[in-house]
Amino acid sequence: MPSVLTPVYIVIAISVAAFVITSFYFNFTNQGYRYNIGWLLQDTSPFMWSNLGIGLGISLSVVGAAWGIFTTGSSILGGGVKAPRIRTKNLVSIIFCEAVAIYGIIMAIVISNGETAYHPGVWKEGEVYALNSQNRHAGFSMFGAGLTVGFSNLFCGVCVGIVGSGAALADAQNSSLFVKILIVEIFGSAIGLFGVIISILQVTHAKMGDKP
Amino acid sequence: MSMDLEHADSPPYSSFFGVMGVTFAMIFSALGASYGTAKAGTGISCISVVRPDLIMKSIIPVVMAGIIAIYGLVVAALISNDIKPKDYTLFKSFTHLGAGLSVGLCGLAAGVAIGMVGDAGVRGTSQQPRLFVGMILVLIFAEVLGLYGLIVALILSTKSG
Repeated sequence: MPSVLTPVYIVIAISVAAFVITSFYFNFTNQGYRYNIGWLLQDTSPFMWSNLGIGLGISLSVVGAAWGIFTTGSSILGGGVKAPRIRTKNLVSIIFCEAVAIYGIIMAIVISNGETAYHPGVWKEGEVYALNSQNRHAGFSMFGAGLTVGFSNLFCGVCVGIVGSGAALADAQNSSLFVKILIVEIFGSAIGLFGVIISILQVTHAKMGDKP
Repeated sequence: MSMDLEHADSPPYSSFFGVMGVTFAMIFSALGASYGTAKAGTGISCISVVRPDLIMKSIIPVVMAGIIAIYGLVVAALISNDIKPKDYTLFKSFTHLGAGLSVGLCGLAAGVAIGMVGDAGVRGTSQQPRLFVGMILVLIFAEVLGLYGLIVALILSTKSG
């Protein structure tokens, strides 16, 4: 086990301690009502949820793509010292990782197209419940869609990067191996595609606005 | 707005839990499938140098890890077709959350198991060909764990009430 005094552990420990101390403070000073999940779900704006979804969708996809690119890229450049012929063929692995970021940006644009302003002042009495439910559902759906595409692409990017690194090093030893290990990479990149499919399914029913 | 009795069982925030069910189903199965693909893929890259003829047989763990992602995809698609903007009861919404969590976390565990078994299996098969059938048997047991999650998720998502 690495030393517990590394900066990462110190930051995590301080954040957890701050959270725990704040929670105990609220408990012991009779302010337990401040843990209000109902407020979190009912009174926060749906736009908070939708924009969080969009932001996390694109940024986590890009983190996945970046992780994959640096994993594969460093292996290509390291293996290319003794076998410089692998440079151009292994750019295909890098492109697989980049595709993950493209999925993220496409979904971020698709999700953000669903955001429209709504005005509770003009809602009729009978449709207040329906419109409130619909707008809130749209906000949550966009949050879920962004999270789905973001995390799926994150994991897919890391996976494709690791396999691409293996493919580059195998290619450096025997050039006929690259195409076969590319099959494993294709299985890996299918995972990002699944995330995009589910994300699209989640936003198709998301409708914001003043019409029920 | 949240105080009327007529809509007490389907409050406006109920879709949050259903949507989180869809999200968890896809995210955790994707994590399991990615881990499995990457770990088995590293093993395949290692053995491909000494035994290139075994590569095609060694892709089996990768395929099985991909199937875990498909379990998550199926459940997520099934659940998200059921989520409605209004009159979406808390009963259905929490059932969907449970379904998503079960397939997701079971898929995560199964994917990790498939990855580790696949990695060790392909490395062993390259040195001892008689281990191939043993690797397949262990992989099947690991895959079935993801299937259990899918079964529970399907039971939950088809509950009506």
